[in-house]
Formats: sequence, structure tokens, C-alpha cells
Amino acid sequence: MHIDKILVSIFQRAFKSITDEMSISLTKTTRSPILCEAKDFVTGLYDATGQMLEQTENLPILSFSLGPVCRVILEQYGNDISEGDVIIHNDVFSMGNQNNDVAIFKPIFYNKELVGWSAAKGHQADIGGAVQGGYNPNATEVWQEAIRIPAVKIVEKGKLRKDVWNLIFANIRLQMVQEDIKAQIGACTLGERRLQAFVTKYGLEVFDAHKQALFDATEKMMRAEIKAIPDGVYKGSSMVYYDGKHVGSKFPIRTEITVKNEEIIFDFSKSSTQTKGFVNGTYTSTCSAITLTFLQIVNPNIPHNEGMIKPLKYIVPEGTILNASYPAATTFGNHLCPQVADAIFKALGPAVPEKVTGGWNHLLCSLFTGNHPKTGKKYVDICFLGMKGGSGALKGDDGYDHIGMIDASGGVLDQDYEMYEQQTPHMVLQHEYLCDSGGAGQWRGGLGTVTQIMLKGNDTTMVVFGDGDVETNYGLFGGKGSLLNKIELKYADGKKRIPMSKDMIHGIPDNTLYKQIAGGGGGYGNPKKRNKEKVLQDVKNEVVSKKAAINLYGLKK
Amino acid sequence: MKYNAGIDIGGTFTDLICVSSKGDTLIHKTLSTPEDPSIGFINGIREIAAIAKQPFETFIASIDTIVHGTTVATNALLTLKGAKVALITTKGFRDALEMRRGIREEQYNNHYKNVVPLVPRYLRFTINERIGSEGNIISKLKVKDLLPLIQKIIEEKVESVAICFMNSYKNPIHEKQALTFLRKKLPGVFVTASFEVLPSIRFYERISTTAVSAFVGPILSTYLDNLTQKLADNHFKGSLLIMQSNGGVVVPEQVRKNPAVTVLSGPAAAPTAGAFYSKMLGYKNCITVDMGGTSFDAALVIENQCVTSTEGAINRYRIALPSLDIITIGAGGGSIGWLNNGGLLQMGPQSAGAIPGPVCYDKGGKIPACTDADLILGYLNPDFFAGGKLKLSKTKAAQAIKEVLASKLGLSVHETAAGMFRIINSNMAQGVREISVERGYDPREFLFIVAGGAGSIHASEICKELEIPMFLVPNVSSIFCAAGMLMGDLKHDYIRSYFTSFKQLDKKIFLSCFNEMKAEGIHALHDEEGVKHNRISFHPILDMRYAGQYHEVQLETSWEEIMSFNIEQVFERFHKEHNRQFGYSLKEEGTEMELINLRLRVLGKTEKPKFLSVNTEFIPAESAIKEFRKVYIPELNRMKEVPVYDGDKPIFGALLNGPCMIEKITTSVFVSENYDCMVDDYGSFIVYEKEKFPQGFSLIHKTTEAYAY
Repeated sequence: MHIDKILVSIFQRAFKSITDEMSISLTKTTRSPILCEAKDFVTGLYDATGQMLEQTENLPILSFSLGPVCRVILEQYGNDISEGDVIIHNDVFSMGNQNNDVAIFKPIFYNKELVGWSAAKGHQADIGGAVQGGYNPNATEVWQEAIRIPAVKIVEKGKLRKDVWNLIFANIRLQMVQEDIKAQIGACTLGERRLQAFVTKYGLEVFDAHKQALFDATEKMMRAEIKAIPDGVYKGSSMVYYDGKHVGSKFPIRTEITVKNEEIIFDFSKSSTQTKGFVNGTYTSTCSAITLTFLQIVNPNIPHNEGMIKPLKYIVPEGTILNASYPAATTFGNHLCPQVADAIFKALGPAVPEKVTGGWNHLLCSLFTGNHPKTGKKYVDICFLGMKGGSGALKGDDGYDHIGMIDASGGVLDQDYEMYEQQTPHMVLQHEYLCDSGGAGQWRGGLGTVTQIMLKGNDTTMVVFGDGDVETNYGLFGGKGSLLNKIELKYADGKKRIPMSKDMIHGIPDNTLYKQIAGGGGGYGNPKKRNKEKVLQDVKNEVVSKKAAINLYGLKK
Repeated sequence: MKYNAGIDIGGTFTDLICVSSKGDTLIHKTLSTPEDPSIGFINGIREIAAIAKQPFETFIASIDTIVHGTTVATNALLTLKGAKVALITTKGFRDALEMRRGIREEQYNNHYKNVVPLVPRYLRFTINERIGSEGNIISKLKVKDLLPLIQKIIEEKVESVAICFMNSYKNPIHEKQALTFLRKKLPGVFVTASFEVLPSIRFYERISTTAVSAFVGPILSTYLDNLTQKLADNHFKGSLLIMQSNGGVVVPEQVRKNPAVTVLSGPAAAPTAGAFYSKMLGYKNCITVDMGGTSFDAALVIENQCVTSTEGAINRYRIALPSLDIITIGAGGGSIGWLNNGGLLQMGPQSAGAIPGPVCYDKGGKIPACTDADLILGYLNPDFFAGGKLKLSKTKAAQAIKEVLASKLGLSVHETAAGMFRIINSNMAQGVREISVERGYDPREFLFIVAGGAGSIHASEICKELEIPMFLVPNVSSIFCAAGMLMGDLKHDYIRSYFTSFKQLDKKIFLSCFNEMKAEGIHALHDEEGVKHNRISFHPILDMRYAGQYHEVQLETSWEEIMSFNIEQVFERFHKEHNRQFGYSLKEEGTEMELINLRLRVLGKTEKPKFLSVNTEFIPAESAIKEFRKVYIPELNRMKEVPVYDGDKPIFGALLNGPCMIEKITTSVFVSENYDCMVDDYGSFIVYEKEKFPQGFSLIHKTTEAYAY
């Protein structure tokens, strides 16, 4: 069939506009702040065989999370897929990425023939298990974390299966989750309608041929990017600290990256075996982490379809910390992304020094729950504003200030302070850049922040999860690392408590001061080579101290 | 004879329209003078006086009202050439302005840079004071603490100061004290505080908007001083009004108080004009699109009202004042064509700009742009561009398309140009989709109004993609914004934050907030702008949401509904509006609702110009045919010879069968194979799908009702 090259461009734009529209619909209709504010969801379109046509991942950590599930569904149902079906899935042992991330898939038909899928996956406010919200630092098995949902039809030929629906939601705490799942189904219906109209307009034959041409063109782009990396085998490693069970425990992540002409293989086989706690990855979450890191190394404008991932090969054996065996606890898995990214950047540094960044600040996050004295109602608050440090610098540019973990790369918004003080009983006292927090370098790491919040109310519970409080992140080519993450509670009587990086503290009393430092990013290149104007500017702006300017950057007194 | 004038100053051209009390219309375009735009302003009036065959002095003295749209504030934000600003904020919050809530728009691009903050960190000062979340004073402001800051402000030669304190929307006492003190101590420095600019909840939005106001304030003041002085020197005795981003007009004194209201002063006039035109033609809803050299703007008019939003930003600088909801995408005549690494053709968003411009301008441009494709496809006449003022080189355009794109795509020059045409049209259609579908509206239910020189070549393809059956090219299409300025009412927006669940709503506070805002509105409109009471109207809006939601709906209500405290009725309409926008409501579930902000829009109706319908003399369409020319017909995917009509000839009432071209000095209209065009009594072009109107224009008036709503 003749390929109209112009039409291929139009296909790409049309697919993107469909997944974007699905995404906007979800932002506006969901209720959990993790979805509508932090936008922890992804929307996508797939063809009949499960190949990605396009996706809008609001957080990069979801960049690889739908495709494998689509294939699982195709395999499981075979020909038993009808128009009007809706399939739900979260199971991490059949290609789910995180228990809380629940996917909805809707098959798309044209003339009674399956032509594609629309899908939406979002992080739910609750997913059952022992602890509300899903982050259970004490979990050792999946059932302590969540209800498992292998692929199951909740709507069959347009008819809601009330029994299945009830079974699932009888195991989930919040009514809100039902509303948010309905919003996901709504977004999929939107995608279904638009892709259907699109196939109707061009006919199936044109659709098939041109979508393939789009994959081919994209694959060509990706292969050209890989080809630009010198052939070789590159090794890098990083460390995960504390599994929530054993104080002082640590687990290495090791990668071996083979670049051969137009192919790249990421092999993580030599990483630590899985932990006994919930600090474990899943195959899908690890592949997402690899993909998003690699996308930061190549041209950022490559369309996100099957052609993009085709030249990438992933080796993540079962039983390792990055792909834990059944029935391990894995909720923390997404947050192993910083260490996966570190290993890849460190490995590829010698090969493409102009593309990699210094170490990004790792996530260390708190989640507060309690009763709001004013309304008497329960509130749940993830302290986004406190957890976001700086990104690593790269050749030619300083790191990005207060961007947060690489899994999100600036996709998660801080709460507005005044809204925060209305929705929680707490009072924000400080949220500012922290002087000298950016790792020194010819290009400086992004700045970290200092946050102080006065916790009000008499019965606040705090869950802490994260890392970055043991080992400073790395600088590259003479650049320095940054500060460690730190959380500290100072009680009204003056006593202090520093929580573990995976911890849960109940009954925090009124007027306890919460203080958090989120470290900056690692620097790049010898700081003494930094443009003196920039150093002076940083000193003038009080983001680098005079002392550091003299000692690290070699500024004359 | 008396005149009303609309004057829109853009980057390249200053557009003027004068309408006499009889309804005669004069239109003119002159070059802008960016170093001091008031020069171009006066030049324009001088030149239009000559067109009216009147002495300048007599003419300017006969102008009652001039409504002016200015890009002074917009350009300051785009080029970062505003005032040197200092910011004073609450201790602990020095960086909120620069952090922008920690967002990076391009997540995979590590070279992506944060915006340059309008106030650098060394000029962001903090002070010990604190208002609590309920408006209670936790830590008192001592004004003497400001003295060391004032010293630094003087040393640093700061031109403008912004003040924004935590929770000041609940209690502005500290801001007021600081403002008074600083104004006294810093004569000649522009000082503003957030309670004057945007007294509503959300610290980041408020601090950003206040900083924008301080950044553009001094230069806007200087410009207005210049302009009013020049007008006085030239014996202008009428009143000068300034167009605001919200589509309303105000006297210059109001703009000086809150300069941030003018950041969309120019583009806001297009939907305002759209509201007027669609109403004149008997429609309630329209979409206005304006395709310029670098960008494509799209906006909505619903129930004859322009749609406003508080989500706006310019150059990533957040401005949370109510502004007309205008989507801008990088698609214009200058948008360049390029191939990505995978060899796929792309258009824009980069633009060849005015200099060197598209290749066919022959001013050194090497990269083919949309205008080059339009020329190759026959839509532009190389000898009649801007009425023949600029000769276009078809050879150069073809050569560039061949070398840069066609040879690599393995396509002919014509095929490539057609591809460029299709891709940019699909980009613009996406912009229209964003403003309509993504906001819950079906574009097929809207009259599609096309403004700007190039838009009417591309409109039929945009419409086809969105299944819009017809579009309108107004007679004043090329100066549409200037015309829109004459159609704006005096408009003031007020806001009070009152965050509460409806269960705990205090009727007294609720009503007194509205009455306060009403009094402020009457003061501004009646006492300061001289509007009679019977021309003033009040339009309350409630920012509401279901408890627990993060995004609120702005629900329009009526003054009667507010005063009668008819909350049940408000709930009903909220469920309905939520359902319309997002596809569901939680009425059945009985979910609680929350109130965030109370808003009041106060309108002072202005006298609108009356346009004459010019059907006294007309000529048959055939006699207006200038030539026959080959143009690209998308439906056939090939070139075809079509008649070219002279659109400046009086062919009122004519029915022109597609395919054809209509050329005016400032606009070209392409009527494709499947379309016909009717010229109305005002000289506007109505282009519609043949199939939808099989019997031609005699049916339009009947059928339009069906499409009107």
C-alpha cells in the first residue's frame, strides 16, 4: 500500500491529541489529590496487538506501565473480547507496576473487528491492605499491601458487572476510589470514541499501514540516537538503604549496559536479591525507570509509541530487588527509580559525558493523616512541598531547583501554602531554597529546600518513606554531591525525633515542629572552572555562601 | 459629525477604525513605532483624517471616544524589559515567586530552564509578620523593620515595589500598613500590594500576579502619560479608554492602579468583536480565531458573552486575574516547515518572524514557512500581497521547499507544499479543539469567525476537520481587534475569598462581601467614570466545588439570586454545570459543596456604534472577477483553475460558488470545492458547505437557526 508521508505526521498528532484529551479529562474529574494535583496517571492508546500508538504519561515513572498489561489482557482473553467491555487490573505479578496503580482498558471496535485499546492507569488513594493509602512499611507479602486484581471484566458488553464491582470495592476503604475509577472509564470512553471516528475516517487498511509507518519512523529516530552512543559495555552501580525491617541494611543496584550499533541492552542481573520488606521493584516499574532515564539522555521530542521502545532491551531477572518474586511486598518499588537512574547515568557518563546529569535528589517523603479540628473531618496529606530537592547538573546547564525526584521530573506541583492551611490544621512557617544545597560544579546542581511546618491537632499520624539520608548523591567529572535529606520532629517540650527513612509515627501532639531538608542535585565539572559572574550572582542571591564561593569555587577573598 | 475610534497597536501594525454617528466606517493600518507607540497612534489618526478628507485638527476634535488596546505590558513580559522590581513578603516565603510550585513543563528535557523570575532573589526581601489562616494576627508587623529594606531599595535604584504577605486575603492590615509607609518613604517609586491587585486565596497566584503588576506598572504609566499628553497637545477633547484582558474597558487611571489588567489588552478584543458580530447575525455562540504571523489565537463566546478564565499566563508568568480565555498556539504565516529525525514533516511552532520572514519575502529567509506553501498553492497572489506593497518570489519559495523538504521527503514541491498546508491546518484545528471540546463544548454548534490576514485561506480545512459547517470572514477581518475595542463595555472585576462549606455559610458575611464589592463598583463606574446608574449592572460569580475536589467551577449567578439567598437554586445549577463540563455530577450522592471565592463583575454599558449596511449600490459578482488562477483543491488533492474575485468591489448579496478565491487588499479568502460563499449586506463573507445548504444562500437564514444553537 502507498504510504502518504504527510498522513503519517497527521496520525502522530491525532493520536497525541487523543491521549492528551483523555488526560485533561482525568485531571479535571478525579478527586484524589494524587491524581488531580500530582497527576500520577497515564493515558494511552494501543493497537489490536497491544502495540503503543501514543501515551500521555504525566509522570515519567508511568512511561512503560500500560503496554505489558495490554498484552497480558490479550493473552488471557483471546477472542473473548467484545465491544463495550471494560477490563480492570492492578496485579503486580501479572505486569502491574505498583499495587495502587489501577489500570482500565477498553477495547475499540470498528466493523465488529478489534482495532485497538484505550487505557488509563492512575494511583488510587487506597487499594485495601493493612494500611490506608497502601504504603505499609511493615509489609512482607502483597496481601498486607493491597487487594490483588488480575485482569477482570467489570463491564461486559456495556453492562456493569455489579457483583464484581462490589467485590472489588468491598476491599477498598474510600468511596473516592470508586469515583476515580469511574473517571478513568470515562476517559477511556473518550479515547474509544475518537479513535473509532479516526479509523472510520481513513479506513482500516490505511490506518494499519500508516500506524506501522509511524512506528518505523519513530524506531528510526530512536536507533539514530542509540547509534550516536559509542559501542561498548558500560557498568554503573548505586545503593538502596534500609528495607524498613533491618536497621543498617543496604542493597546494591548494578547495571551493565551494552551498546551495539543501533541496539541497547540494560542488564540489571547483578543487582541485590529481593528484600524481606516492601522495598522491592516490579518488572514493569523497573522498566519504566530505565525508559525514563534513557529518554532524558536522548532527543526529548521522540514520539512515545511502540517504535520508541522497540530498540531498548531490558534484562531484570525475577528474584532481584528490581523484580521481586511472588508474593513479595513491592509498594516502595517505584521509588527505586532514583537508584536505577543513578546507575544508568554513572554507567553512561564516560560514553556520553555531554548527556548525563549529576545525581538527582532522592525522594524522602511524609504523609500526614489526622482529624481537622475545624471540620472534624479526616484529612490525608502527602507533603509534596517538602520532599522536592534539586536535579543534577549537566554539561552546559545548572540543575533545576526544587524539581523533586527523577520519577516525576517536575511533574508534581507543591501545594499552595494558603490552601494547605485551609485543608489541614497545620501552619507553614518556611519553604525556601537552601543556601549551599546545590552540589558545587562548573555547572551547579539544582537547589534543595528547607521546609518548616507547625503540626497542629492532637493526633497526627506520619508515615515516612524514601531514601537519600545516608549517602550523598554524586557529582560528575569533578562536581560535588549535595546535602543529605533529613526529617526532624521537635516536640513542644523541646525533645527531638528523627524518623527512619521508612517509618510510621502515631499520636504526634499539637505544636510539634516538622522540619525537612530536601537536598540539592549533584554538580558537574570542576567548580573552580565555573564562570565567575555566575558564582558572584549566586553569592549575591544568597544561594551560595561566601565561604563556599571561596573554598569550593576558588573565588578570591 | 462625531466619531468613535478603536486603535489597536500591535508589534508591526497599528490598526484603526473610526465609526461616525451615522454609521460610516473608516479603516486604516499604519506602521507601529515600537520605541514610542504613541507616535504611531497620532500618525494613524492623522492619516485616517486624510482619508476622511478632513483637516487633522477638526477630525481629532470630533472624536468622542477612543478605545485603545496596547501591547506595552505584553511586550514587557515577553521581552523581559519591565521595571527593576523589589518584592517584600512574609518571613519564610522568599522563593515562592521563583519556585512556581516546583514545576518543570518539559520532563525529559534536562536543558529546560526555569523562567527568569521578575524579581531576582537579592531583591526579594522578607519581613517578620504573620497573619493566620483565619485572618488572626499571629505576629505583628513593625513598620520600622521596613527601614533597612527601604535603604537597600534606594541603593539598588529599584523602580517598583510589590508587597505580598501570607493570608493577606483574609486580613490585609499588614499589607496596608506597609503600603502606606513605603509610598510615603519612596516617592517616585511605583508601590503596589497584593490586596489591591488580587485579594484572593492561593499565595503563588497572588504573589505572581502582584509581581507582574509591579513589573509592567512603571512603563505602562510612562506610556499613558505620553499618550494623554500628546492627545491633549493635539486638542483631543473626548475620553480615552483602555481595553483590558477581560474584554472590558476602563479609564487610564484605573489601569495605573492595577497595570496587570492590560496584559491581554490587544487579543482580548477579538472575542469581544466576535460577541458583537455573532449577535448582529442572530447567533448566541461563536468561536473567534485569529491567525497572524507567528501565532494562532482561538477564543469562545457563549450566550453572547466572552468566556473568561483565571488560569492565564504569559511567557510562563502566571496572572490569575479574570481574562478572556484565549488559546494561543505557534501556528502562523511565518511557521516554518522542518523534518524530525524520523523524517516526518512538522510545522512550527518556530517562526521565521517578520525578519527575515518567509523565503518568498526575499529578505534573506532560507527556511520555508507556511506563507511560502500558501504562495506555491496559489492562495496568495505574488503581485497583490498587502495590496501589492510587498512582491513575493515564487521561485525562491519553490527552491527552498525543494531543497529543505521535498528532496528529502521524495515528494514534488507541490506535494510538499500541500503537506505543509495540511499539517498546519491540523495544528490549528487542534487549537480549536482545545478551546472547545476540551472545555466541554461542541465546536459544531458555534459560528466560526475568522480574523487576521491569513486565517481565511486555512479556515475551510480547519472547519472540515472539526465538522464545522460554515465560517464567517467579517468585512473588517484584518483589523478585527480594533473593531472589537468599540464593542467593549466598561468592566470591573472584584473578588473576595470566603472559603467555607455551604453548611457553615454565614449569610451575613456572604451578603456583606457582595454589597462591599457592589459599592466599589458603583464608585468606580459612577463616581470615577461617569456612568449613569441605569446603565450599571452586577454579575455575581461563585467559585464552587464538591468537598474534597481541587479544581473549582466558576458558576455565574444573578444579583437577585444572591440577594434572595436562594442557595438551593445555586446548588441545582452547580450540579448541572459540573455535569456539562466533566460529564458527571454528584447530586445523587448528596456530596457536600464548598465555596472558595465570591466574585462580582460590574458592567457599565457603553453606547455601541451602529454599522450601516451598505446595500445601496452593488455590482454583479461576474464583473468583480479579476483573473483565473490555479489553486490547490484539498478535496481533489490537485491544482485547479478557479475565478479570483476582487473582494474590495461592492458585490453585496452575491453568491460565489466554490471553488474560488476572493482577494481584498488585506485578506484573501479561499472557498474550496465543497463550499459556497455568500457576501452579506455589510461586505462580510459567509462560507458554508454546499451539502449542508443545497439550495444556496436563500436557505441560510432559515437554516442558521438550526446551527445557531
